[in-house]
Amino acid sequence: MQKGKVVLKVCHLYPDLLNLYGDRGNVMAYVRRCQWRGIEVEVHRINLGDPVDFREMDFLFLGGGSDREQNLMAKDLENRRELLQAAVEDGLVVLAICGGYQLLGKYYRTLEGHVIPGLGLLDFYTEAGRERMIGNVVVELEIEGEHVRVTGFENHAGRTFLGQISPLGRVLVGYGNNGEDGTEGARYKNVFCSYLHGPLLPKNPRLTDHLISLALMRRGLPAELAPLDDRLERVAAEVMLKRLLM
Amino acid sequence: MRNEFQQQFQPLTSDFQTSNSKGCRKDLAFRLRLIIAILVAKAIMWLVRLLGRGKGSSLPGMVALKICPGILGCLARQASRGVVMVTGTNGKTTTNNMIARVVREAGYRVVVNAEGANLITGVTTAFLKAASLSGRVDCDYALLEVDEASFPRVTRQVYPNIVVITNFFRDQLDRYGELDKTISLIREALVQLPGTGLVLNADDPLVAPLATSTGKEAFYYGLGEHHQVASFSAAAREGRFCPHCGRELFYAYYHYSQLGNYRCPGCGFSRPLADVEGTEVSQGDHRITCRLRSPAGSHELVIPVPGLYNLYNGLAAFSAGLSLGVEPGVIIGALAGYTPATGRMERFLYRDKPVLLNLVKNPTGFNEGLGALLSLPGTVDVLIAINDNDADGRDISWLWDVDFEVLEEHHHRLNSLVCTGQRGAEMAVRLKYAGVPLDKVVVENMHRAVEHVLNGSGNTAYLLATYTALWPLERILSGYAKRESRVESLPSVS
Repeated sequence: MQKGKVVLKVCHLYPDLLNLYGDRGNVMAYVRRCQWRGIEVEVHRINLGDPVDFREMDFLFLGGGSDREQNLMAKDLENRRELLQAAVEDGLVVLAICGGYQLLGKYYRTLEGHVIPGLGLLDFYTEAGRERMIGNVVVELEIEGEHVRVTGFENHAGRTFLGQISPLGRVLVGYGNNGEDGTEGARYKNVFCSYLHGPLLPKNPRLTDHLISLALMRRGLPAELAPLDDRLERVAAEVMLKRLLM
Repeated sequence: MRNEFQQQFQPLTSDFQTSNSKGCRKDLAFRLRLIIAILVAKAIMWLVRLLGRGKGSSLPGMVALKICPGILGCLARQASRGVVMVTGTNGKTTTNNMIARVVREAGYRVVVNAEGANLITGVTTAFLKAASLSGRVDCDYALLEVDEASFPRVTRQVYPNIVVITNFFRDQLDRYGELDKTISLIREALVQLPGTGLVLNADDPLVAPLATSTGKEAFYYGLGEHHQVASFSAAAREGRFCPHCGRELFYAYYHYSQLGNYRCPGCGFSRPLADVEGTEVSQGDHRITCRLRSPAGSHELVIPVPGLYNLYNGLAAFSAGLSLGVEPGVIIGALAGYTPATGRMERFLYRDKPVLLNLVKNPTGFNEGLGALLSLPGTVDVLIAINDNDADGRDISWLWDVDFEVLEEHHHRLNSLVCTGQRGAEMAVRLKYAGVPLDKVVVENMHRAVEHVLNGSGNTAYLLATYTALWPLERILSGYAKRESRVESLPSVS
């Protein structure tokens, strides 16, 4: 690496397996928003069995898939559990969406009562529900002391209940974690979990930039980001906020 | 030669009449309900026409089913030679319209459901339009495109003699749940249909196994290896894992998405031999052609609309035609004269400038649409209209599975990209992150958006729209531009 040049390493987990709901857009947004500021990015596409050292990485993205694909990824991640846990404790910035989110918790209980163990990195559990929770969502987050409204689309049967851990935000419209307690997602150290597709990051640049800043901070680099022109994102978000909140 | 196909589908030409000629229930109560339902439905159709509102392609059926729940089965059984259904993710409307053309050309009277009206209500409406007030339907064949999720419900009332399955791609997940589930529901429905013959896309590893898993006779169509047609996308591949053992499939070649020549290194599952196979594909300005090898010999197939996916639709229609015993020459002739329905690569002219209108509803179709866009000569003004009503899919996340990144590479050939519809702004965000230069991206209301691309300095205007954005767009467009080829309006019975 050249002296002074910043290169962030982005780890996209199972891109070939988990290609549902456009979640790869999260990686696209992270990468572009780095590049637009002259921060170089290396994207590591890690598929089943590929070697990877999580602690070397700066940002890790884990999405969800259909049942079959999710089982394959759960098996593969189980083998890497300790390495992932060490990286998480070390402050690795992680975004986990939907099925990827559920996998980080303690377990998933099916409708028939089978308990499928999760990786147990975060203190929450998930139970299958009869009705899928589907629809547009508005969530209020706090980012660096500022209240930010993010929009997205949820589609999940699992109901997640948090233990000693903060939610990502508060549901203004939609179901969120379980349709009962008004929480959405989870937050632990630099791990961000959410049910929101849409995808989450391109629609919500404020959150994306926060995840970039955290990665820079972890490396001991200046975390101030040059502002970008986000007018299109703002217009798109306004359309949905107006429709859903009024 | 003909006998070969008839052997494949023994029930098609003779025996199936037993299953279709069972009359309706004769009891007075049912007859009364039936006649009331038809009267009310006809009155609604008349009113809809009078008011000029909508196409009225599902409301009459919805009301009639409420009044007389058994009406669909009763009307459909009267198709004297049988019923052909087309289901799958993409190409249902085009394939069904192509089959309709083939069957009409062969001299038969048909009932066809209106484009896109493929839920049980739309299917019922098609029969209601054709029915007399006493409930008689006088036709030889019913040709029905049926929504994947509605297939089990429709086949509980209507027995199909042939089911054509085009492909399975990701589509409107919020409505259907995941693809595996859709496929398994169709599989279960097929098992309940004794004697139904299948026409299957051999190149789709999600479609091809349906013959074995349902124990049915199948006629396969597919494309051989070819070089002329560039494939832009490797991303939106759904079925890259073996449906039997879950191993990643090995591809000798593939055409687009997961369609190609696949083999599982684990359990040996592989692409079946195609009974109808296209080779030597060549893509012209506004058509696509190939050499056809089938049990009926070798032919030159010309489909007068561009796009590899339309060639697949043509192969499916050819196979269905053969299965019905239509002479290959008649099929080839009918397909060569095919004109696209609304939004299926429909052509308009605005002051000598070609204008193309295309429906998009999932990543695979959109990628193919972008491929066709980039194959146009010269520069292009592009309009993308995205709505998120139920019929479009309320979740528009799938736009991020479309490979808009190809537009970054070719941006010098794009004069402007105008985004419109309820989620036009979000479409613009997608283009921004695809790396399209922002000074070319505009967000406008639909009227201004159409004016923008028509008056742009590009050589062609190319419009892509989701389902509910298509009709308003077409209406606005018709106010400015001339339809180049007469659109085949499909009367219910001819």
